[in-house]
Amino acid sequence: MSTSTQPLTQKPDAAVDPILVVRGLHKHFGGIKAADGVDLEVGRCEIAGLIGPNGSGKSTLFSLVSGTVAPDKGEVRFDGRDIAGQNAYKVARLGLARTFQIPALFDNMTVTENLLAAAAEGHWPGAHERAAETLALLKLEHVADNRASDLSGGQQKLLEFGRVIMRQASLILLDEVTAGVHPNIRKIILEAIAKLRERGVSFLIIEHDMEMVRSVCDRIIVMDSGRVVTSGPFEEIVRNSEVMKTYLGRPQ
Amino acid sequence: MKARWLDILFLGALLFVLVLLPLLVNNYWLRIATGALMWAGLACSWNMLGGYAGYINFGHSAFFGLGAYVTALMMVDPLGLPFAATIPAGIAVTAACAVIIGAPTLRLRGAYFAIATWAFAEVLIQFATVMEFTGGIGGLSLPPFLNERFFYFAMLMAAALTYLVTWALFEHSRFGLKVKALRDHEPAAEAMGINTSLVKLQTFVLSAVTASVFGAIFAYWVTFINPKSVFGGDITDQMVVMVLLGGLGTLWGPAIGGVALFVVNRLIWMYWGDTAFYIAILGAAIVLVVLFLPNGIAGLFAKRGRGSVSVLGKAVEKLVGAGEGDRK
Ligand SMILES: Nc1ncnc2c1ncn2[C@@H]1O[C@H](COP(=O)(O)OP(=O)(O)OP(=O)(O)O)[C@@H](O)[C@H]1O
Ligand SMILES: [Mg+2]
Repeated sequence: MSTSTQPLTQKPDAAVDPILVVRGLHKHFGGIKAADGVDLEVGRCEIAGLIGPNGSGKSTLFSLVSGTVAPDKGEVRFDGRDIAGQNAYKVARLGLARTFQIPALFDNMTVTENLLAAAAEGHWPGAHERAAETLALLKLEHVADNRASDLSGGQQKLLEFGRVIMRQASLILLDEVTAGVHPNIRKIILEAIAKLRERGVSFLIIEHDMEMVRSVCDRIIVMDSGRVVTSGPFEEIVRNSEVMKTYLGRPQ
Repeated sequence: MKARWLDILFLGALLFVLVLLPLLVNNYWLRIATGALMWAGLACSWNMLGGYAGYINFGHSAFFGLGAYVTALMMVDPLGLPFAATIPAGIAVTAACAVIIGAPTLRLRGAYFAIATWAFAEVLIQFATVMEFTGGIGGLSLPPFLNERFFYFAMLMAAALTYLVTWALFEHSRFGLKVKALRDHEPAAEAMGINTSLVKLQTFVLSAVTASVFGAIFAYWVTFINPKSVFGGDITDQMVVMVLLGGLGTLWGPAIGGVALFVVNRLIWMYWGDTAFYIAILGAAIVLVVLFLPNGIAGLFAKRGRGSVSVLGKAVEKLVGAGEGDRK
């Protein structure tokens, strides 16, 4: 983790200077409208939470933005550039990193090699030192030389997060990165997110755990059936009992 | 670190013995050693793409044969060029063909690449058979150079270089990390900024070019080639079995597999004067690997994991277009 992004003392208004802008994004899988005109933005240094019921299109949105899946139509602007339909590797090189909901590790490579492979394109100087730091941060040192496929489920989630750290990105998309992870380690992840944000990194975080959403996110974006239905500060979203009931399935 | 030094010590001792071998054995065994080095090198060349990138090449003999035919055509009349001059030409022709075959097919998921390489080798067999300038089915005879030691050292150099390139590029470089990453999960590799189509193509070209160098030396060595003897599908089959037996995607496994199967082949030929039995052994080796040794002989020495995922599994997934199911 170094200085590829400039630290900001003040958090600019998301609406004024967004790092990510999505407009009218569509993606249909057969009859399923996984993205049905998604509009959203993420501000610089903002940590935005993305919530919504299962199947509402959150992960699909990540794939469309990161270039893993090409959208049918719509606009995606990252750091002022139009990246809709762009190859995933090109989007990644612009400074956008993402995790996969189901860990997409390099199974036959060791934990250390997984981290190094994430840095192999573009961020190589100091990669070995950063890999060692990341291993220490995520408490994965004792399995550093194990094959990724031999890790436990929680450890795989951690490694998935570790690879994203190695990317030195300016925008990070996290897809349920703490699901199934021990509370102690979850705390470590949250601290890592906070530390990265201080360095100017922006986040869009998919999360089902409301406590986590409350503690880390500046703003919540709610999705349902392939659309963004509302967004705002956590308290505001929670106060809107209609949203809580319909989209989160548990009135509070 | 300690293991590193042991490795280097072992390789040094091996090289020492190999360099002195011509003084220790007669020409008959030297020829067998030359062949063993060739097959070890060919297996390593197939493994570059098949083992490290997970893309199965069913027509690798095409590139071996291209190297052989380019050398033969340049050495016979009317050109009559020296052997050394033919190798760069063979490399250039092979690289161009690999780009033409690989560029469109390596970006697709599924069996396209495997089918294209297989078809390419078939096309070349037919082409060399019907064309006049390639000598048709009768093939070509090269100017004989009957110096067993020369060919032994030529194969030794080519095999050692192949091994060294594999070690440096696939085991100890950023490039190798990219190749293995795309083998294990292409969408994730792309998400890490890796241009997977390009890396696959580069690996394929390197693998093809390496095979062509062995083809060139082989043609000059045996002084006579025909379409079947250098393009034949059985050449690819043997390479595949050697790699699977030795250990797909490992550094030294394919070399061991290559030497082992070639020596078995020669022994069978010596005692029975016929190699039909050898084909049965190849089949048995495949069954053995698939059932008991998914990581080959080298896998026996590797650190034990849960073994649920193997390099072979990744290669098969790519072949049938499955796996990496969630592109989420
Ligand atoms: N590659 C695909 N092919 C077909 N359908 C897909 C594909 N990817 C997603 N879908 C469908 O699109 C819809 C949205 O899926 P998505 O994974 O984006 O939901 P999600 O909001 O991430 O859900 P969860 O909270 O369960 O992770 C679902 O109905 C899913 O079945
Ligand atoms: Mg999801």
